[in-house]
Amino acid sequence: MVDSVFLALSVLTIGSAIVALEIRSLIYGSIALMLTLSGVAGFFLLLDAPFVAMFQLSVYVGSIAVLILFTVMLVRRELIFNKVEDKRRRYAGIVLMVVLMLGIGTIIIGSGLKTMDTNSSAVDYKKIGEDFLTYYSPALIVMALILASSIIGAMTLARREDVIDGQRAD
Amino acid sequence: MSTIAPQFRLSRFIGSLFDLIFWVILIFSLVGLPIVFIVLFYIKLPVINGQLMTPYLAMTWMADPSRTLPIVKNFMHTTIFKVMAFPGFGFAALLAAATIFVERKFLAKIQLRVGPLYCGKIEGILQLMGDGFKLMSKEIIIPAKADKPIFWMGPLLFVGAAGAFVSLIPVAPGWVVANPNVGLLAVFAVIGFFPIIAVLTAWAANSKWTFIGGLRALHQMVAFEIPLILSLLGVVILSGSLNLSQIVVSQEHFWWIAFLPIGAIVFFITILAELERVPFDLPEAESEIVAGWLTEFSGMMYGLIQLGTYLKLYAFAGLFTVLFLGGWNGPMVWPPFPQDIITQGITIGPVTAKFPGLPLFDQEMLNGTLWFVIKTVGVILLILLPRGVFPRVRIDMILHTGWYKLIGLAFINIFIALGLLYAGVLGPGGLLH
Repeated sequence: MVDSVFLALSVLTIGSAIVALEIRSLIYGSIALMLTLSGVAGFFLLLDAPFVAMFQLSVYVGSIAVLILFTVMLVRRELIFNKVEDKRRRYAGIVLMVVLMLGIGTIIIGSGLKTMDTNSSAVDYKKIGEDFLTYYSPALIVMALILASSIIGAMTLARREDVIDGQRAD
Repeated sequence: MSTIAPQFRLSRFIGSLFDLIFWVILIFSLVGLPIVFIVLFYIKLPVINGQLMTPYLAMTWMADPSRTLPIVKNFMHTTIFKVMAFPGFGFAALLAAATIFVERKFLAKIQLRVGPLYCGKIEGILQLMGDGFKLMSKEIIIPAKADKPIFWMGPLLFVGAAGAFVSLIPVAPGWVVANPNVGLLAVFAVIGFFPIIAVLTAWAANSKWTFIGGLRALHQMVAFEIPLILSLLGVVILSGSLNLSQIVVSQEHFWWIAFLPIGAIVFFITILAELERVPFDLPEAESEIVAGWLTEFSGMMYGLIQLGTYLKLYAFAGLFTVLFLGGWNGPMVWPPFPQDIITQGITIGPVTAKFPGLPLFDQEMLNGTLWFVIKTVGVILLILLPRGVFPRVRIDMILHTGWYKLIGLAFINIFIALGLLYAGVLGPGGLLH
């Protein structure tokens, strides 16, 4: 049962990823990207990590995909992409991907993943939260600072002082 | 002689009947019976009265009344019943349908109108059925230059997402379709799908009205999703759980609205925005952009969207009840099942009928459902009320409210919750627990 679900999810994820890269229509491409990200969420569910799966759905499908849709619908295509298409680039991309996959694959297989105990019970998300707030709290603080600074940076970049809107209430 | 079948002959008619019976029996015995047995082989059958209910005994409930109620009771605890009937789709659709009718009458009474009046003898009670038949019998028109696959998928996905949302709401102790440990996160994940569906169908219809409406829906929902999530974190902090059933259990003595009124208000306002209801109904502003992102839908496609909208309304009201109003908790007002019927059966004249397996539902579940429905209907009426009272607000005011005020209020709410937690008053291990 799990094997068949895993196979179906793999086909869905990889297939829609290829569609997202190859299809001409930007909207269909973004839909395929959503399917890919949902497939990844399915993998997390299979790995007994519903917490991560739900965040994958709400952040990647619910927010990132919405941002991509926003961009695609509000900006004209010519402004984002040039129409130059190069066969050699595609092959170079495929070769680069294969090299990357092989490299990462050897690292992961060599990292002791094979000797991992797969029958142990899943880690509760509360345990992860406790670890975050105690042992890993410096990492949490650094992450919070990075996120806050990036948000402030984005707000500063997006701020426009040259536009005065007479319609606004405030 | 009728002109419909001038060549009519009784012998041929009877012959065709036999023909039909022959084919039905042949197909049933060659295809139907194997399918039935394959299905019965894979379904885990229950033990009734100390005897496994084999496929051969599956029909005995017709002849043996002492097996009927246990089988029905067993069926009510299966997943398929939960999904289709009680805490799932059937129950929610019933409440949603009632909401549509009550909304029309309620708004009419507020505005000193009469509302639906002519369908049915009493106060237009059959109006809803009439509307349903109208929608079902209307032709589905697809715009010529629409993107057909997305346009077709839109209403189905909308109802599907709304159904997924409904399945997460616990109605009574143990009566919930899906009870994941991360229930609240699952709710956030499901809510995230609605703006995508809205904007994709709006784009697919290839019309200016739908596109403007869809973009408005996207802006509004994205702006209000963040305060929605933030306003619920206070409840999570105080109850120490993401599971919706455990959040309800944690409110056994007091409701969270008593301690987190700001969070409740922020959540209520975001509900109005997420549901696109007045005063935040810009995506469907009928006086400016026809019907917003629903403009091009016709017939049952519009019906499905409408069903999804009201399922979503019920689910949001249920979520408010579960998180802030104590869910199924309430004083025991449901009368206990009479013991005489269980022990002695019902006596009518000379006949005494015994019903093993009674009571069908336990008292706790009925009481919980009663309180949940009362609170949810109250919240639904509160959600409907602004439509009769307020005008629509402008888009920049909506976005300003969402991004500035509500997020700030939601953070104040989180700080209140944290203060209560660190002061040791509430929360896991607190004084009042």
